[in-house]
Amino acid sequence: MVKIYNDYKDHADFLTVYVREAHPTDEWQMKSNVKEDVCYAQPKTLAQRVAIANDFVQRQKYPLPFGIDDMNDAADLAYSAWPERLYIIDEHGRIAYAGGMGPFKYDPEEVRAWLAKRFGPVTQTSSTSAAVPAAGTR
Amino acid sequence: MSRFWKWTLGSVLGLLVAAFAGLSFMAGSPRDVYGLVRYALPHMHRGKLHAGDDAPDVRLLALDGSNRFHLRERTGSRPLVVIFGSYT
Repeated sequence: MVKIYNDYKDHADFLTVYVREAHPTDEWQMKSNVKEDVCYAQPKTLAQRVAIANDFVQRQKYPLPFGIDDMNDAADLAYSAWPERLYIIDEHGRIAYAGGMGPFKYDPEEVRAWLAKRFGPVTQTSSTSAAVPAAGTR
Repeated sequence: MSRFWKWTLGSVLGLLVAAFAGLSFMAGSPRDVYGLVRYALPHMHRGKLHAGDDAPDVRLLALDGSNRFHLRERTGSRPLVVIFGSYT
């Protein structure tokens, strides 16, 4: 998503929303997360969510605007967002693109295709694209 | 127990074992099957939002941990790409 952001940030706005962890240490942890030292327990407080979100942004040098879902999971529930999902909201506040349920139907290329159809194809060879393994931010 | 019920029970158990083995193979391990069933499926929802629907407004917290804003505040002038996810 970082590359798509770099390619289209002059045409569209972007917002990453941090929702409940997908593979925390106290639930269904993935070996890949252990290997990459991305090990966090499921946050029990909003402060813990804020801390993990900041860790992510700093460690990955993640440039996209960021918001954090409340502990009542309001954003997650409204958008059926967990574990990862993509949407595009148009200028009138309507859903223009609703991505499929992640991880299997999480497809950034569909977002790129929508943006390319609207604004024309853009591909910049950016060196600022972080290698982001996290759920929802590829 | 009649022979019919023994066969039925045996068949059901056999199918369950085969299903668990198949899921374990697809998910990676028996532990992953447990994780999928226990932690993933209860939180995964296909959702009801489609293109053309009004985008729900939600209140979010900024990275500074104190300022809050509404998703709707970020819409209006240009399309807004929203990426939901977590670190793990």
